Amino acid sequence: MQQFLTQTGSNSSAATSPPASPQPRLRQQQAPRKERDPQNKEKEAPPAAMADEHQDLTRAFAGLGGLGVDETALVSALGRWRRQPEKRAQFRRGFLGFFSASAGAVAGIERCEDEYLLHLQAEFARFKDAAVLWAMHPWERDARWAHHVLHKAHPPQVLVEVACTRAADDLLGARRAYQALYHRSLEEDVAYRVRDANASLLVGLVSAYRYEGACVSEDLATEEAKALAAAVRSAPAAATKLVQNEQVVRVLATRSKPQLRATFRIYMELHGKPLEEDLAAEPCLREAVKCLDSPPKYFSEVISRAFSDDADRQAKAALTRVLVSRADTDMEDIKDAYARQYGAKLADAVAKNTHGHYKDALLAIIGK
Amino acid sequence: MATFTVPRVVPSPAEDAAALLKAFQGWGTDEQAVISILAHRDATQRKQIALEYEHKYSESLIQRLQSELSGDFERAVYHWMFDPAERQAVMANAATECIQEEYPVIVEVACTNSSAELVAVKKAYHALYRRSLEEDVAARATGNLRSLLLALVSTYRYDGDDNVDMELARSEAKIVHEAVRNGAAAGGHEELIRVVGTRSKAQLRATFGCFKDEHRGSVTKALPRGDDPTGYPRALRKAVRCVADPSKYFAKVLRNATRESAGTDEDSLTRVVVMHAEKDDMGAICAAFQKRASCTLEQAIAKETSGDYRSFLLALLGS
Repeated sequence: MQQFLTQTGSNSSAATSPPASPQPRLRQQQAPRKERDPQNKEKEAPPAAMADEHQDLTRAFAGLGGLGVDETALVSALGRWRRQPEKRAQFRRGFLGFFSASAGAVAGIERCEDEYLLHLQAEFARFKDAAVLWAMHPWERDARWAHHVLHKAHPPQVLVEVACTRAADDLLGARRAYQALYHRSLEEDVAYRVRDANASLLVGLVSAYRYEGACVSEDLATEEAKALAAAVRSAPAAATKLVQNEQVVRVLATRSKPQLRATFRIYMELHGKPLEEDLAAEPCLREAVKCLDSPPKYFSEVISRAFSDDADRQAKAALTRVLVSRADTDMEDIKDAYARQYGAKLADAVAKNTHGHYKDALLAIIGK
Repeated sequence: MATFTVPRVVPSPAEDAAALLKAFQGWGTDEQAVISILAHRDATQRKQIALEYEHKYSESLIQRLQSELSGDFERAVYHWMFDPAERQAVMANAATECIQEEYPVIVEVACTNSSAELVAVKKAYHALYRRSLEEDVAARATGNLRSLLLALVSTYRYDGDDNVDMELARSEAKIVHEAVRNGAAAGGHEELIRVVGTRSKAQLRATFGCFKDEHRGSVTKALPRGDDPTGYPRALRKAVRCVADPSKYFAKVLRNATRESAGTDEDSLTRVVVMHAEKDDMGAICAAFQKRASCTLEQAIAKETSGDYRSFLLALLGS
């Protein structure tokens, strides 16, 4: 969806001459596109006003280069060209990618592309989602996310996240909320709907009711670090995948979090590299380990992924999910982790990559 | 309904504590006094008495009881002193110590409690042992038994009976049938454990009903009596029985425990009576016992046990 602002080039020329043939550069990256704006402004030949107007409108209606919609720009764009439908038609003709003259040729219209409609819908919905999720009980939030992931067969990242980063009683509460909402237990649905190799790990993680105390046994941690290492070593030759390995699932799904962190620490001491590195072939397993080891670090990575150019719909939705669900728990830790990992303040990154009311909402949630 | 009785006018915890101290003093212990007090107090009252005793006499009531009493009687009173959640946590912990023989206890705790009760047991386990029950079960058991026990213990089943899907019940009855038939073939056990370990009890009963309709024999009879050394087939059968009809299951445990020929199994007898005397289902268990045996539970206990242990059990059963 990030391709539309390429049209600014063709728009400025369209102002003076009949609409130029569309530049077929769809799916262009964000960086080159942002350079074009200053270039176009430099070409400020008359009728520059028209070129500017087109640019403003394009930017307002494109709703891209980040997340959310710039409502102010959109409002001022709506007031443009009052009672001048032919100017709007010209805008549509120049705004290829959003409107297609060829597709609507039969009816004599510049037809609105379906993809664009869906895209705008998603962008507009971000603020609404943030508000609704903020108001919901955390347990209901988690239950709804889990249900959505299971029933739309999305990747199980959300399940791993909810199961591993919530406190034991909060995970139990989410399972209760799931039962109240859907009249089935969460583990039932996970066991029934996840049929790939990750099933036993996911059911284990989701059913866990971990001990929450700080009591840690170094001997046990050493023993289990060695067991994990043995499993990793024998994985390539084994009959089942590493994520199905009984020992691995048992350790990750039952031990308390402080105990697991001790185990991961000892693994690192014994093998010189963190366990995550050895799990590169099993994304579900690696995410579980990351979530269990350090939720703030994991969350800052998820946030950063939402800002990247090739973020897909789930990656972008993750931004709302993470910020709303962690606002009351470890937001400060996430801010620290983000600054440490990416060298920028989280609030600055959010301000740069989001627009409009959505941006204001997120900044308010993050706090100073 | 629970079978033990509480007097209409209950003495204060201080009075009870004083009476217990009197029972401990002097030569030997007045066991009858201990029974007449403790067997007729509910969980809250027992806790208050223990607190009052410790406060007044600076020693733990439970430890004093353990030193004053002995044998099966002592074990029964010791377990009776806890509240229901703690008691099951203690029993489950003892079972994980020798899980190869004692896994039935874990199956019972996991399958015959409501979801909320099971969470209370797990919470009590956290508080008592600073580990989770799942951890201990997973670390001590192996193979298929581990997968089954872990699934049973971790699950938080949907408690309602309003969402039973008969289509699903039929399809899962078929899955169970295939899994049973193919036995050790890959995937068979996993599906069985998945169904038995996650579905709500109402859904499972519907599934078992469909199985019976389709294959003219109950699931428990169809389950293999394999020679899996880990005890997995027996555990599975017990789990299915517990879910299908807990009262009948416990009645059977009691019948086996009080059988004349084999000698009395005091551990199981204590476990079932002490665990259920203050739960709602003791009445049903007694009725189920009487239906299959030729006598009432009280008569069987009176015949097979003796002394203070017998008096205590009979007091718990309300006679």
